[in-house]
Amino acid sequence: MMTECGMGWRDIMSMAAGTVPRGNIGLVILVLLPFLMGAAVYGAGRAGSQKRAGRGISRAGRLLAVCAVTAELLLVLCLAGFYFRHFQGMEKMPEYSVPHICGLGLRFCMDGLRLICCVVSALMWFMTTLFAGEYFARRRHAERFYLFLLWTQGTVMGVFLSADLLTTFVFFELMSFTSYVWVAQEENVASLRAAETYLAVAVIGGMVLLMGIFLLYRELGTLEIAELARAAESLRDKRILYAAGTCMLVGFGAKAGAFPLHIWLPRAHPVAPAPASALLSGILTKTGIYGILILGSQLFHGDEKWGRLLLALGAVTMVLGAVLAVFSLDLKRTLACSTMSQIGFILVGVGMQGLAGEEKALAVHGTLLHMVSHSLIKLVLFMAAGVIYLNVHESDLNTLRGYGREKPLLKGIFLAGALSVSGVPLSAGYVSKTLLHESIVEYGGGGMFTILEWLFLISGGLTAAYMTKLFVAIFVEKNGDGARQASYEVKKGYWNPGTGFALTASAGILVLWGLAPGFTMDPVAWLGQGFMGLKESGEQVAFYSPGNLAGAVVSMGIGAAVYIVIVRGILMKTGTAPGESSALTGPVRRFFKWKQPGEYVNPWPAWLDLEELLYRPLLLSFLPLVWGILCRLLDSALDLTVILLRRTLYRDSPLPRERAEGNVMTAAAGHVLNGIQWLGNHTWKRRFPTRRDYVHLAAMKHARLKEDGFIIRRSLSFGLLLVCLGLGLTLLYILLG
Amino acid sequence: MESLWILSPALAAGAAGVFFLTASFTEYISLPELADRGEEPQEGESGSRTLRLSRVGAPALGALLTAAALAMVVAWSGDGEVILFHLMKDVPVYFRIDPLGRWFVTLATAVWVPVGIYSIVYIRREGGEKRFYGFYFLVYGALVCLYFAGNLVTMYLFYEFMTLASFPLVLHNGSREAIMAGLKYLFYSLCGAYMGLFGIFLFHHVFGTAAFSPGGILRQEAVRGQEELLLTAVLLLVVGLGAKAGMFPLHAWLPAAHPVAPSPASAVLSGVLVKSGVLAILRVVYYVVGPEFLRGTWVQYVWMTLALITIGMGSLLACREPVLKKRLAYSTVSQLSYILFGLAVLSPEGLVGALLHVAFHGVIKSGLFLTAGVFLHCSGKTEAEELRGIGRTMPTTLWGYTLLALALIGIPPACGFVSKWYLAQGALEAGLGVWGYVGAAVLLLSAILTAGYLLPIVTRGFFGNGPAPQTERQEPGAAMLLPLLVLAALSMVLGLLPGILTEYAGIIAQSTM
Repeated sequence: MMTECGMGWRDIMSMAAGTVPRGNIGLVILVLLPFLMGAAVYGAGRAGSQKRAGRGISRAGRLLAVCAVTAELLLVLCLAGFYFRHFQGMEKMPEYSVPHICGLGLRFCMDGLRLICCVVSALMWFMTTLFAGEYFARRRHAERFYLFLLWTQGTVMGVFLSADLLTTFVFFELMSFTSYVWVAQEENVASLRAAETYLAVAVIGGMVLLMGIFLLYRELGTLEIAELARAAESLRDKRILYAAGTCMLVGFGAKAGAFPLHIWLPRAHPVAPAPASALLSGILTKTGIYGILILGSQLFHGDEKWGRLLLALGAVTMVLGAVLAVFSLDLKRTLACSTMSQIGFILVGVGMQGLAGEEKALAVHGTLLHMVSHSLIKLVLFMAAGVIYLNVHESDLNTLRGYGREKPLLKGIFLAGALSVSGVPLSAGYVSKTLLHESIVEYGGGGMFTILEWLFLISGGLTAAYMTKLFVAIFVEKNGDGARQASYEVKKGYWNPGTGFALTASAGILVLWGLAPGFTMDPVAWLGQGFMGLKESGEQVAFYSPGNLAGAVVSMGIGAAVYIVIVRGILMKTGTAPGESSALTGPVRRFFKWKQPGEYVNPWPAWLDLEELLYRPLLLSFLPLVWGILCRLLDSALDLTVILLRRTLYRDSPLPRERAEGNVMTAAAGHVLNGIQWLGNHTWKRRFPTRRDYVHLAAMKHARLKEDGFIIRRSLSFGLLLVCLGLGLTLLYILLG
Repeated sequence: MESLWILSPALAAGAAGVFFLTASFTEYISLPELADRGEEPQEGESGSRTLRLSRVGAPALGALLTAAALAMVVAWSGDGEVILFHLMKDVPVYFRIDPLGRWFVTLATAVWVPVGIYSIVYIRREGGEKRFYGFYFLVYGALVCLYFAGNLVTMYLFYEFMTLASFPLVLHNGSREAIMAGLKYLFYSLCGAYMGLFGIFLFHHVFGTAAFSPGGILRQEAVRGQEELLLTAVLLLVVGLGAKAGMFPLHAWLPAAHPVAPSPASAVLSGVLVKSGVLAILRVVYYVVGPEFLRGTWVQYVWMTLALITIGMGSLLACREPVLKKRLAYSTVSQLSYILFGLAVLSPEGLVGALLHVAFHGVIKSGLFLTAGVFLHCSGKTEAEELRGIGRTMPTTLWGYTLLALALIGIPPACGFVSKWYLAQGALEAGLGVWGYVGAAVLLLSAILTAGYLLPIVTRGFFGNGPAPQTERQEPGAAMLLPLLVLAALSMVLGLLPGILTEYAGIIAQSTM
């Protein structure tokens, strides 16, 4: 029965046999482990949830989660060892491919940059999971959070290890959805609204990214990241390539928090639980940057237009984020805006890579190191903010004032993060920012680049200003409310050992990372540079040369000025401290009296918000209205046509009406007689009008006639009459014939 | 004898249908008695329930599984053909099993069985189970015949029969609204089919009654000078048969018929029946006329435009529709035109994408209608806004819905992503210039809108606080939950491992081009 056209089950089985994965199994374990462990943790965490009245997570679940992230960290380190032993400095990379999954198959590989990203993210997950133990001890839906915490780790690993863009996209989309739960976790009005925005941006960004991937695949015929550069170079007409690149930039940029799709970031990061904010800020934004790095270093290698586009976006993001952070009154929101600003710094670095051509080592190293430094910094800062939130349950700066005065360890940890993000010498941020700054200065490039350099320095200054604002408010000043201040200064443990270890260790790593750049940062920079097409090992940069220090000093100077004039001058309401008799006025007085309780205010106008002003009205009201009317018309086009035709051409003919009595003839005759009667009543018989219904009378007459006829037809005499008539006719016929 | 073998699934289903319809007369007889007795006593409820379950459910389940197993065995045990009888001289009623028919019959069976099991419990509440199952089986039989039909006339016969047999499913609950919607369905379907019939008449002098053949049976020299006439006939067929597939301008029956039909009926209506329009168009374009004849003609562009308009319109109206089932119906309008667009670009990838989307959308949309049915059945809620906080009382159902929604949007690794990938590649590779880019962009725009109308139910269901937050579970029983979860799992597994499907669809596409 088999013919050539048909296909039986044997063919099907042989097809299925083609799906055999191959390669280095470690890579895929790295991705899958968190997914499996997440489910296990969820199951274990729910055990005994009745007893805890649905709050918190069981001890077994917590332990299992810590085990999972530890295993992941160890696995990454093992892979790193394996990589250094077998693949360091070679063209070949450890790979793993799973054919046919999602159509084209998933492919993973490992190289220097991916290794760095994986190590950093495994470390961050380890620390935040330790911290989450205390944070979620008594919160609702804790096991749900753990589930999505681990799942997101799997997706992030998938993004970083992806060897082709399809794999990147698959895990990127999954990541958007799993991390959505982080933002919505608290289930209050603010977090749900922020989560809505987050999801909308993620979905729209994801689809635009997919459009870019479609176009790219159509143009190049490959999505493998390592082959993009070669395929792109051989392309003559680059217009479609630019379109593809722009689409993908929108997708990745939305996740990174670049202007103008940054709207979700300052809303979503603060409302998420602190461990999640640390990860959102520290590592999820980096997945977007990772994608932009793929574009910049593979597709648009040394492309000037591309570099300028990124520079422009980066500069706006950098300045806007810093300005928003200076104005912000909320601890976590300030940190979130700071993240946006630092992403701007990184984008400037990526842009400079495109412009600098052969001399791009500075930009490459600066970008890489700033990515790592920023991840560590935000880990420390958000966890510190989380500790404060756990104790005070408030995030408003005026309430938090004076919280950390008597807590030297927390103060030290926060200070380490603050100094580093501000780029103070001897910190991690200083090194990476110096490299980025140098890359701008060395490129020269005229007026636009002088402006860029100044924007860079001003943003650095603003960073210093808002970090000082936070530090001073929380750790130096006293709270205006005396009782509150007293409650802050009660000696009691403000964290448990797990949290303490996570915070101290993170801060320790951050400090060590920054103290000896020659030992820590340079090897990392050299490890990762291969991805950006740098081969030579490069020369050591003298980080503490006078020229480089000068940049930092200028930046710090700007920061100090901004802090004194703007933060203490404009952003503070005067406190009316008792016994005030100074002759000094205005900002100067406030500065010298800064331990007096004033109040921080945020004069940023509420309406000046891109989301509220533009996106929401446009997407939720305007476009649906206009398109909705159009579509509704199209939708009912045929129905309307049918109705129109029935009203005009195909008017339903009236049904033959059932008459109560009579037939057409009697009705007609009756109507005529009625007419005559009416005429008569109005003319000659006006005196004695008659009122007879002739229709009825005629019908009655007709009925009677009909009945009579019926009776006559049925009667014997009628029959006899007919017979007689017949006989008569016959007789006549015979006589005449 | 062979004729009996090939048509055995249809015969089995038809026999079961007739059996149930005959049995359903007793429902009418006993109705007045029931009314006299008034409310049934509470304690007897469970006893009578199991009794009725065994009386209707068991034979229905048996017949369902028998017909499905027969269909699978017949479809996958090799090719076969049979001429049943001649309608007129030279007009045979001819059946043949080929890869395309096999594809569709497998999909239909994969949806028909879970939905059939689901309806055992669901329809019991609606009443008229026997009548429902009678027509349910008749439609299945008609579908199998339609899929195995080997020439235009046979296909047309069973196309009409399927419309007529599915009509009572729409007006099942007998309300005035349901009857009006059923009449609208009948009107649109018949109008469309007559347009198609007109096209078939125009075809007749060119093709006669030749059997379907992959790649078309058109000989260029036979139609020289009559190309325009033939193109018009093709357009008539596409638009007319597109009525069943919900293509603009003949789509309006879909959003009217789905909300009033019982949920299982909407599920098969949306998941399988509307695909018969796709199959009919596929047969006409790829198995009679041939894609080569249409490529680059005005008919192709008109067809693509209509499909793209439908995609955008359906998605947008779904976003603005408060009633969940109606929203899903508009979604079907839009998604079906993904498939038609994939056919219209006339490229192998497009055809593969269309075939994949036929299968995936069938699974996903029937699953979604089943969840809508669960919400309606267990909590009586029909509007999307009322479902706020539903995740607290029905977490498992809402999880099923979530997976299905993600699959329909096309979030990898769920299956919608795979078909969207092929559709977009097909549009871009077909050499249509700017049309390809517009097509891909419209697909993705519609995906965003899809997220816009499906995801709020998930987010508000899980995270939103309902007006009166309840904590006790109201999940349905396993007989309703399991089919739904099977479909949801299927939508994920097919996305993770689409290898077999893509290769088989690739074989079909290769044979026609």
